Amino acid sequence: MPHGRDGLKNGAGETISSPDPFEDKILALMPALRRYSRSLARSDTDGEDLLQDCVEKVLARRMQWRGVNLRAWAFTIMTNLYRNGHRHRARHPEVEFDQALDLRAEENNADPLERQRLVHALERLSADNRAVLMLVVIEGYRYQDVADMMEIPIGTVMSRLSRARRQLAEAMKDDNVIALRRPK
Amino acid sequence: MTDEFETVSDAELHAFVDDLLSQSERARVESWLEKHPEKADEVHRWQAQAAALKQYFAPYARSDENDRALISARRTAERTGSRSSAFRLRRLAAVFLIFAAGAAAGVYASDLFAPDSRLAAAASEALPRQAESAFLIYTSEVRHPVEVGAGERDHLATWLGKRLDYALRIPDLSPLGFSLVGGRLIPVNGKAGAMLMYEDGTGGRLTVLLGRNTENRETSFRIASRGDVETFYWIDGEIGYAVTGEVRRDLLQKVADECYRQFENSERS
Repeated sequence: MPHGRDGLKNGAGETISSPDPFEDKILALMPALRRYSRSLARSDTDGEDLLQDCVEKVLARRMQWRGVNLRAWAFTIMTNLYRNGHRHRARHPEVEFDQALDLRAEENNADPLERQRLVHALERLSADNRAVLMLVVIEGYRYQDVADMMEIPIGTVMSRLSRARRQLAEAMKDDNVIALRRPK
Repeated sequence: MTDEFETVSDAELHAFVDDLLSQSERARVESWLEKHPEKADEVHRWQAQAAALKQYFAPYARSDENDRALISARRTAERTGSRSSAFRLRRLAAVFLIFAAGAAAGVYASDLFAPDSRLAAAASEALPRQAESAFLIYTSEVRHPVEVGAGERDHLATWLGKRLDYALRIPDLSPLGFSLVGGRLIPVNGKAGAMLMYEDGTGGRLTVLLGRNTENRETSFRIASRGDVETFYWIDGEIGYAVTGEVRRDLLQKVADECYRQFENSERS
């Protein structure tokens, strides 16, 4: 068996944490998966739901994993869950509730108004564009990696990234906010 | 040298922002941007955007104490014989005991194995958020946490039941140390819903929210957390239920279990 194949600290038959090395690997990925799920979701609750769905699917499909790059594989599963779920939600749009109450966001130091503007701007992005943006900006994937993960040509990755950035910039422009505040 | 021989593509600009260029490519883009201030502005905006996104989502890259339980819950479920991927795996293996009881009684059998129960789960996402908000808003009320107090328990049940169009029986949670504070009418999914509030001996409160299920689908037990506030929720036929509290999760789960059992009985009677 190649070195490192079974991960953490269970050499010599001694299992330190979990009886299952695959589970240990998933456990080690949880922070990254949590951040990615939240970057796609509308709220903390939605983010945790997406994360739980993803973990469930990753474990259910573990036999299909080819043994390399578990992180990218798990991210691909998350991305697909998100895109499917997003399609479903589009047919049943929910009332935008109280993202301002997200506790995790409150720990951030960013200006609350700026944060709110960012959150609203993100909501305008399509699921595909948003996923590409987050994979590149937050998760640090290269364009070709994203193309492989999403099974799309690299040119499509570039156009989605470009669209996401321009839409976000447009939505966050200062004058838009002033216009919204102006009484009708 | 004139500009016409020196062009920078859109893809290169993105790669510049994402720090994917070699040093020489980087220098070339930088000098080009100096001559194209409009493009430079756009690139600056993208850089600011990227920084804001990183800052916003960075705090989420953390472990949660329940992560291991979430992961091992799958194994537990496989051992108990459920192979259905539609089975909602949630953080606590113990939740499956509730399921098993329901399934044994034939209550959930169709839901557990229906292929589309995943979709049903997505439709119910609004419920825990409404329950959390109701909990946060009303349990912190000192003088008017409820509209009708526990002294008028029967009236409360009749009134809320009528508005909800549901034979509401108010759960008795005294075996778990919680007594009824009262209840109020509250909008849930845009329709009349009910909130019941309970309190333990030290004033620790929890709420039970009932609302009409507009999707008319069922879900199994699910759990949602926001900070220290946790919500167990489920949709059973026409009604969605959510139990929310800032108490130990195992205790909250017992409360949810108890509510489920008592609501089941009131439906049958």
